[in-house]
Amino acid sequence: MSTEQSAGIGKYVGIWLGLVCIAGIEVILTYRGFSVHELLLALFALAIIEAGIGLAYFMHLKYESPSLVWTVVPFVIFVLLMMNQIWPDAYRVDSLRFLTQ
Amino acid sequence: MSESHVALTEHSAFMEPSPFGIQSKKLTMWLFIASDAITFGAVLFGYSYLRAGTPNWPTPFHFSPSIINGMVMTFVLLTSSLTMLGAVEAAKAGDKAKTLKWLAATIVLGTLFAVLHIREWFHMFHEGWSLFKNPEGGSVLFGASFFSITGLHLMHVISGVIALIVVGIGYNTDWLDKNHVETTGLYWHFVDLVWMFVFPLVYLMNATR
Repeated sequence: MSTEQSAGIGKYVGIWLGLVCIAGIEVILTYRGFSVHELLLALFALAIIEAGIGLAYFMHLKYESPSLVWTVVPFVIFVLLMMNQIWPDAYRVDSLRFLTQ
Repeated sequence: MSESHVALTEHSAFMEPSPFGIQSKKLTMWLFIASDAITFGAVLFGYSYLRAGTPNWPTPFHFSPSIINGMVMTFVLLTSSLTMLGAVEAAKAGDKAKTLKWLAATIVLGTLFAVLHIREWFHMFHEGWSLFKNPEGGSVLFGASFFSITGLHLMHVISGVIALIVVGIGYNTDWLDKNHVETTGLYWHFVDLVWMFVFPLVYLMNATR
């Protein structure tokens, strides 16, 4: 059986507050005048941080056996990283076409 | 009678140990979450490709009401994850009444999220946006990607609410146990986790600046 450890409700409330704050930071960054590509990168990074915190604490992955973590996580990350191959083509397409009216 | 005969044909003591030290339903849920994460990843990467590669992509979300609505929806869904944690902790402690109260709170918050989302959709429809229409005259890809992604997520939220109702009823009648509450909780946290990507990439990236 998996370990019955958990962070405790007080810690969960703290983590919840942290996630709410990160969401607030995302909204603030949106109106700071970044370019599309810079904003996309920043929001992606913050979303990944939020996802990591949610996975570790809310979904208790931190307290599961390492064998489960190593089975589930690496191949998902690998597939998502492979999907990152689209960016050079997206930026190339951006500079190819002319603006439509 | 051989041991293998007993193991294969009768109830026996030759049980396999739990995979990864967890119940098989929990492992199944993790594997489903992994596959669903890749599905959402593919959809969001496809949208991000379009967004990054289109210079005149529409940005129709004004701070009020769209971004404010999105912020409220994010807060509601994050809070529902917290109440779901309360339900799981109460179920582990064997407190049925508390578990059901936390589950009820999660169901209410999930329903509220769905209502706010559908209200946002109708606001978009009223402005002329749809899967195939762009009232600003440009590419229809914004509507196609927005309604597809948010529709897929909304479908997950509604399914999650229904699952929580079933688990709540089952737990109350002792048909289901704390492990079912925990497994359903995993799904609910995943739905919240996906929104952590959908809100910034779909709403904030298309905010009117």
